[in-house]
Amino acid sequence: MDPTLIGQGLLSGFLFGGVYSLMAVGLTLIFGVMRVVNFAHGDMMVWGMYLAWLLSARAGIDPYLGFVVCAAALFLLGLVVQRGLVERIVDAPHEMQILLMLGVALVLENAALVAFGPDPARVRSPLSQATLWLGPIFVDVARLLTFGLAMVLTAALWLFLARTDLGRTMRAAADNPYGARVIGADVRRVYAAAFGVGAACVGAAGALVSPILPFQPTSGLGLSVTSFNIVIIGGMGSLPGAFVGGILVSVAESMGAVFLSPSMKELVSFGLLIAILLFRPAGLFGKTAG
Amino acid sequence: MSERRTGRGTDRRTFLKTAGAAAGAAAVAGFPAVLRAQAPTVKIGTIHCVTGPLAEPGQACRLGAQMAAEAINAAGGIKSMGGAKIELILGDTQTKPDVARAEAERVINAGAQLLMGAFNSGDTAAIVPVAQQRRVPLLVDISAADPITANVAKSVREGQQKVQYVYRNFPTGTLFGQRAVQYFTEIFKEAGVSPKRVVLMHANDLFGQNQARGFQAAHKAANPSWEIVEVISWPEPPTDLSTEVSRAKAAKPDIIAPITRPASAQLLLPEIAKQRVDIMGIVGPGSPGLYEAGQIAALKENLEYVMSSVPWPNFKNPRARQVAEEYVKRSGGKTFDTNSGYSYDGMFVLADVLERAKSTDSDTVVDALKKTRFTGGLMVYGGPIFFNEIGDNPNAIPAMIEILGQKPVVVWPKDVAAEKFVFPRPKR
Amino acid sequence: MKLLALLAVAVLAALPWIVGSYLVTVLIFIFFYAYLGQAWNIVGGYAGQLSVGHAAFVGVGGYAAALLSAHAGLSPWIGMWIGGALAAALGAVIGYLGFRFGLRGFYFVLLTVAFAEICRVVALNVDAVGGALGLYITFTGNPRQFQFQDNRAYYYVALALMLGSTALVRSIERHRFGAYLTAIRQDESACEALGVDTLRVKMLAMILSSFLTGVGGTFYAFYLFSLQPNAVFGIPLSVEIIIRPIVGGAGTVMGPILGSFILSPLAEISRTYFAQGGWNGLHLIVYGLLLIAVVLFLPQGAYPALLRLVRRRPA
Repeated sequence: MDPTLIGQGLLSGFLFGGVYSLMAVGLTLIFGVMRVVNFAHGDMMVWGMYLAWLLSARAGIDPYLGFVVCAAALFLLGLVVQRGLVERIVDAPHEMQILLMLGVALVLENAALVAFGPDPARVRSPLSQATLWLGPIFVDVARLLTFGLAMVLTAALWLFLARTDLGRTMRAAADNPYGARVIGADVRRVYAAAFGVGAACVGAAGALVSPILPFQPTSGLGLSVTSFNIVIIGGMGSLPGAFVGGILVSVAESMGAVFLSPSMKELVSFGLLIAILLFRPAGLFGKTAG
Repeated sequence: MSERRTGRGTDRRTFLKTAGAAAGAAAVAGFPAVLRAQAPTVKIGTIHCVTGPLAEPGQACRLGAQMAAEAINAAGGIKSMGGAKIELILGDTQTKPDVARAEAERVINAGAQLLMGAFNSGDTAAIVPVAQQRRVPLLVDISAADPITANVAKSVREGQQKVQYVYRNFPTGTLFGQRAVQYFTEIFKEAGVSPKRVVLMHANDLFGQNQARGFQAAHKAANPSWEIVEVISWPEPPTDLSTEVSRAKAAKPDIIAPITRPASAQLLLPEIAKQRVDIMGIVGPGSPGLYEAGQIAALKENLEYVMSSVPWPNFKNPRARQVAEEYVKRSGGKTFDTNSGYSYDGMFVLADVLERAKSTDSDTVVDALKKTRFTGGLMVYGGPIFFNEIGDNPNAIPAMIEILGQKPVVVWPKDVAAEKFVFPRPKR
Repeated sequence: MKLLALLAVAVLAALPWIVGSYLVTVLIFIFFYAYLGQAWNIVGGYAGQLSVGHAAFVGVGGYAAALLSAHAGLSPWIGMWIGGALAAALGAVIGYLGFRFGLRGFYFVLLTVAFAEICRVVALNVDAVGGALGLYITFTGNPRQFQFQDNRAYYYVALALMLGSTALVRSIERHRFGAYLTAIRQDESACEALGVDTLRVKMLAMILSSFLTGVGGTFYAFYLFSLQPNAVFGIPLSVEIIIRPIVGGAGTVMGPILGSFILSPLAEISRTYFAQGGWNGLHLIVYGLLLIAVVLFLPQGAYPALLRLVRRRPA
């Protein structure tokens, strides 16, 4: 086996892990705080991508700047979905929650189809083609930037949860909703904020990833499945888990593509998922259930 | 009539329309026989995947079919049937075989006397039994999987079925492969170069695998001077192709032969450029993603000089150019190409069949189908359109197109070429 | 109540001779998906172990029967039981891994999704089972090959599947097994404390559910005549399987049937009237909104709501 190929695979996989991490951060926050599985996660991200594309194509705003707008738009969407729908079924049986989010996913996917058409779109950023060469191995600049931004975003979110009142209340509500109510936290408001912030992360992720990944209205499902994998492997509700999990899954897939057949690389991440589910279901960084 | 509450926020007009239409549908659906208007029309069920993952080509097919029907009607309809107009009953398979089957039944129930569709081979396969069971002729306008017609032919040969109702006007996977290998060899010879190492990279979906297999089988049979040194595939749609391209680069290719879909093409071609893979050219055995208007707009210089062996309109035919212009307007900027083109031609083939059959009786239509010798197609053909003993048209052939000046042009075979090809591609 | 059921069955049996082939096809899918939903209901509804990977069993069963028919000439009438058994074996593996390792709720969901996806990727890549091309079954119309020239024959097969599975589930509900399932769903720890072997009960439910679903896979293969890995192992099929019992009422006997009778016609109507215009996808938006509406207004499912409505009327 060509060592250059292995080295390149490791590096590409590592950097692409930043993309995966971004995808997972919003999902893990929502689940961590609310214990709601957002099956519409991938479709929300696709909307973030399309919004970034609109900004880029119509207003000429580069996605690396425009992601703030996408985050804000998705924040609002998250609030609406949470207040209007999710909140009402907090006590409903699990299968009803799943059905609700599946319905939301279907609506989002086809709304995107109606609004934007079925063609794959990709945002062109001047950085899309930039590469740095280190001998025989190259670094994809766009992915490097996304990796950096993923780290910054995760750190920012971490600080938000650790240092701000709202953030701390979210963590309290995540750990113990009843106890949080007892000490006077407005749990409804916290849940809405958590869903909103989670959705904002998803929107930002979509925008930042849009120059790298071509997307179509039907891309949502695949993104959802990948994000669920990462979140479980990293640990539901854990931000460092989402970050590390993303990198781990990406590197594993890349090595799968190098050593096995690239069309089977998904098997590697699913194998990893099953291993984690069986031996450490809380995930690498998750707290084991008390 | 039965009231039906259709969910929150339905305004009265929609509600009345829906209730009325539902009542009407219930009335019609309840009758097994066809109760329809007395005006002379021929109803053709036109079923494609206009939603779901293959929505883009499905919508192109539908538009091609609609434009063709309009053109036929504007020219006087089916003259031998008293100027009967063609009426399309549209169906959406949602890219799901069970929906495809239900749609086929629905349009037949609504009076369809002929069927055309369905683009996705899995959906088409689900419609085949309906055509055979209900004895409604089906013209497959686009679907490359060989078994679709071959299985029906076999069934008739072995006496399990009396009549074959399924016919296809599109190259099969086998034919794609044979032509691709032929064109590769001919173009290399004409260019005076002898590349040895070809790396085949393909999307691992139905079309991609079918094409890859056809290409490899044809290569083995023809045994040319160039080798397929490595085959790399990826799950479609992919999120990342950097490792795949690294692998291709490590195989030291002279040529990369991609079989893509639009999404993977948008990842693959820039990646090949980024990784500075040094090759004579990118020559595809035939796939979408390498010529559409949207793809050219997205990929720009990464698509320049890329060749692909695909079914293509013959733009030397002035009618084809006219239709293409109209198509650009109707579709909001898309190119008249493989999918829209073959659906367009498919409708004209059916019109020709009806002219000769002078009736919509199934077996009469099948007889007329078998005798087809149609030369009015807009696509590149190797001769008149006819159907062989399996039900396929061996004259439905691809042509090698190349993106030159950010436009797709036919460059091979010579007699249909609009321009000379550029190969090897210029060094950057 | 029994008279009503008999009357309903009689009506259903007579329908194919009254309505057209299109409605017969719609009903076939209603019955078939009700059957798959009923099979899922055993482990997902009654036992509360939510599987979103049941398509894997459809796929395994269908592929097994199709391959045995094509390569060994084995009639699918026999092949379907082998397919079911293979699916049950897979179900046992998944069930064991999930239940033994204590995976509940969403974690179990994701385990089932992961297995279904693995099956899908394997089927896509292994040429011996057709790869991405899938398997195409030749249409012969020969009943010995589980094929029928007449749509109505399929109708009766699908009807039998639906009625048979419903009878089975009703019988389960009335016996101790059913009580265990419901108890496990409500409070598994309490069950264990009372000495119930929850692992064994859940495994039984899973094996039964996957076996039935696998048998259904054969019907799928020989009615649609093609098996495509993405369609037959994919998440969208798993979703189709679970939404009917959930909408109708998970854990009830009539839930999957009612859910199927509600959703299938709605999907058909939605597609017929909203998919004609230029807005491709509108009918699916409508369908999605309907699903959301069901969750918001019928949070326990349609069948319990119907029961409440019926009971409120004076006797």
